[in-house]
Amino acid sequence: MSHSMTAQAPGLSSYLKSLRSTPVEASIEHFIALLKRRQIRNSRPCALATTQLLIQVVKEFKGKDADKLLRRIRDVGRRLIAAQPREMVVGNIVRRVLGLIREIKDDNADGDSNAVNSDTGSPLPHHDSFNRPQLASSISTFMRHGALPPMESASGPESLADSGELPHRPALFSSHTSYAPLGTSLFGLFSQPDTPSNTSTPTGRHSPIGKHTMTASALERIGESTILKRTNIKAEVLEGMNELQDELEQSDDQIAANALDHIHSNEIILTHTASTSVQKFLLAAAKKRKFTVVHAEAHPNDHDAVHATILTGKKRDAEVISEEAGERWKPLTAAGITVVLIPDSHVFAIMARVNKVILATHSVLANGGLVAAAGARVIASAAKVHRTPVVVVTGVYKLSPVYPFDIDELIEYGDAGNVVPYDDGDFVDKVDVDNPLYDYVPPDLVDLYVTNLGGHAPSYLYRIVADHYHPDDINLSGAVEREGK
Amino acid sequence: MATEPPPPDKYDIVAAYQRLLANDHDLTKPIAAIEALVDAMATTSTETVSETLETLEDHIRTLKSSVSNPISLSAGTDLFQRYLITTLNRPSADLTSPAGAVDFDAIRNQLLTNRGLFASRAKAHRATIAQSGRNLIRDGARVLTNGGSRVVAALLRSVAETGSVRFQVVYVLDPDAASQEGEWSGPAIVAMLRAKGIPVATIPDSAVAGALAEIDLIVVGAEAIVMNGGIISKMGTYQMGLLGNIKHKPFYVVAESHKFVRILPAGQYDLPIKQRAIDFKVGKEGELVSIEHESQGGYTVEDEAVDLSDSGASGGKTGKKDSDNSENPVDYTPPNLISGILTESGVLTPSAVSEELIKIWF
Repeated sequence: MSHSMTAQAPGLSSYLKSLRSTPVEASIEHFIALLKRRQIRNSRPCALATTQLLIQVVKEFKGKDADKLLRRIRDVGRRLIAAQPREMVVGNIVRRVLGLIREIKDDNADGDSNAVNSDTGSPLPHHDSFNRPQLASSISTFMRHGALPPMESASGPESLADSGELPHRPALFSSHTSYAPLGTSLFGLFSQPDTPSNTSTPTGRHSPIGKHTMTASALERIGESTILKRTNIKAEVLEGMNELQDELEQSDDQIAANALDHIHSNEIILTHTASTSVQKFLLAAAKKRKFTVVHAEAHPNDHDAVHATILTGKKRDAEVISEEAGERWKPLTAAGITVVLIPDSHVFAIMARVNKVILATHSVLANGGLVAAAGARVIASAAKVHRTPVVVVTGVYKLSPVYPFDIDELIEYGDAGNVVPYDDGDFVDKVDVDNPLYDYVPPDLVDLYVTNLGGHAPSYLYRIVADHYHPDDINLSGAVEREGK
Repeated sequence: MATEPPPPDKYDIVAAYQRLLANDHDLTKPIAAIEALVDAMATTSTETVSETLETLEDHIRTLKSSVSNPISLSAGTDLFQRYLITTLNRPSADLTSPAGAVDFDAIRNQLLTNRGLFASRAKAHRATIAQSGRNLIRDGARVLTNGGSRVVAALLRSVAETGSVRFQVVYVLDPDAASQEGEWSGPAIVAMLRAKGIPVATIPDSAVAGALAEIDLIVVGAEAIVMNGGIISKMGTYQMGLLGNIKHKPFYVVAESHKFVRILPAGQYDLPIKQRAIDFKVGKEGELVSIEHESQGGYTVEDEAVDLSDSGASGGKTGKKDSDNSENPVDYTPPNLISGILTESGVLTPSAVSEELIKIWF
């Protein structure tokens, strides 16, 4: 985060302001440039900017064909991802918007195909399309009481046996629960072959979503009968995207609602880097309980923000979008919490006295690992040695369906001048200086993820990925990311 | 059942299964079992649902008792059985006759017409896995593998055929293993890879630990993937997993999802097969006991087959020794040693396996 960033410098807020008045194509180019120049960086600003930009793209989109809209979003998404593949949250938002469009498209198709029944291979209850909650209702009802239901959904696959139906998640894509993580269930082997797209997708997915399992004749009939309905697609997509926007804005508060479950009186909590999510989490607990926070300062990339957070409660140069501007920020010390600032190098020494480690993250990966600010792995490893629980707080929007086959390519290297100033000529001449910005923390070093949906074990994250992303979209960037490297 | 000659009208499922396996070396055991069962359905004429299921169960029992290690094929038979039962219980509309009753014939016909598809789909799955293997094996990687897995071979071949990835393979080969011929045996795969210009080193089981320092990742196939995400695979896989875990080498399993099977072994000795990794012998006083005839350092697989199903009714043996299984001892690798399971629909964490199985069973 650059120190020189002022309100005038191009960044998130100026970009968001410019969005309305600028033609979409120029906005896309502008965003790509900002991403490349790292003037919009970190998960939250990227997520907000991507969402807003895609809203404009949808608004500008002419026509009623959902497939064309899908293609359009995917094309824009590819360009954004290629601009900055390591900001994985951009890809996440693109995929979620794609999933949203698919869902609305199939909902509309479903409505007409009730009579036509499409489904040959999925006799299972939770694959039954007709008892899926409708999009709009599920969002609004669930969004209000955010904190409660997620704990149920964390109870793991065993609960499925009891309920016979997947637990509803409280967020936007609750009806996505009908996706199997496999994309195709084991019965895929037996599905009927008369589907047009079976050759391209590995065996008929028989989630009722997706016309894959519909017969060709059924498709024709739908094509004729849904023209009227399709006129609404754009409005529905925009509505869904506004919910997505809300989710981004509310996720920190929803995460903080879990704080009292995790932070107990007189505990010593260790955290790292300046993170709004963690700050809100700790503040929520501080309302009721007294505890001690040990803050590792994350030198050399984030220490200024850490100092500012400790002193004022917010990152000094954090870009704040207008909704949040009025919000009061107060430091933990004002809430009566003892805060101890330590350099990163002291983490191991102090770990013996720490009760819990709470980490913020840059992005979370499908295998339950995470990419976080450099130093996170040291902390997580030290915690492992001392058997200290490691809790990661993250919004679901940071959860990426990307599987980390190659860890090295996830790690970004930053300005070496932060470590040794460039004017130290002697040093710079003789020594190679590296400044990795991120660490990969493998899943076995993490005990729990606290998201806006509740708490999840790392091994359960695959399920959340399956809930939020359409299997066809996961690969969207696979090829592109490689090109973008 | 097998001791008495099968009645003339009775379909010989075991022969069909063996024939299918022999005719197509690409065919996995679960798929061969499914095809044999579909053929059985085609030849027998049953009127009612329960009669069909009963005949089916009968065939499955016969089939399982005919081999010494029925775990792998039981993945196929279970899948087929569950599919039939769930389809019959909750038929989708186009299989329901206008009256609303289950149109049994429709389901049957659907299966019979699709029969040829199972194998081709399974092969397509393997190709998909092979394709995604390009993510797994990066330029400069050195891969440790073992056994004679078709999927692993397909994956390595697919990466080799890209031409742009330079990688090396260290292949664990048992020099005295009995089954060394066939298209998918270890030596054949080694030869295939070498012919494609991939440097392959072969090492014995005993060299795994010694070689591990120079390995980047471990890739193995599996005979079956059990409910907790662990795998049942060629004897020697478990030690690769253990050693790899100690040395922090990623350990990937590549397998098609039709190999998922609903058993939950508590450990090496809890597998539903009769196989003794340790077989004590003692000689009479003063007599030298020769170890010449013990194959593979003393593993013995009992000829007596066991029945996976609870019912002891079948009890009988076919008398036909399953030449394939008895010489291929297996072990169980628990899920905590596995980094990921590469299936045709992406990389699963071991815990995702149980969910898939629960979905078809409950």
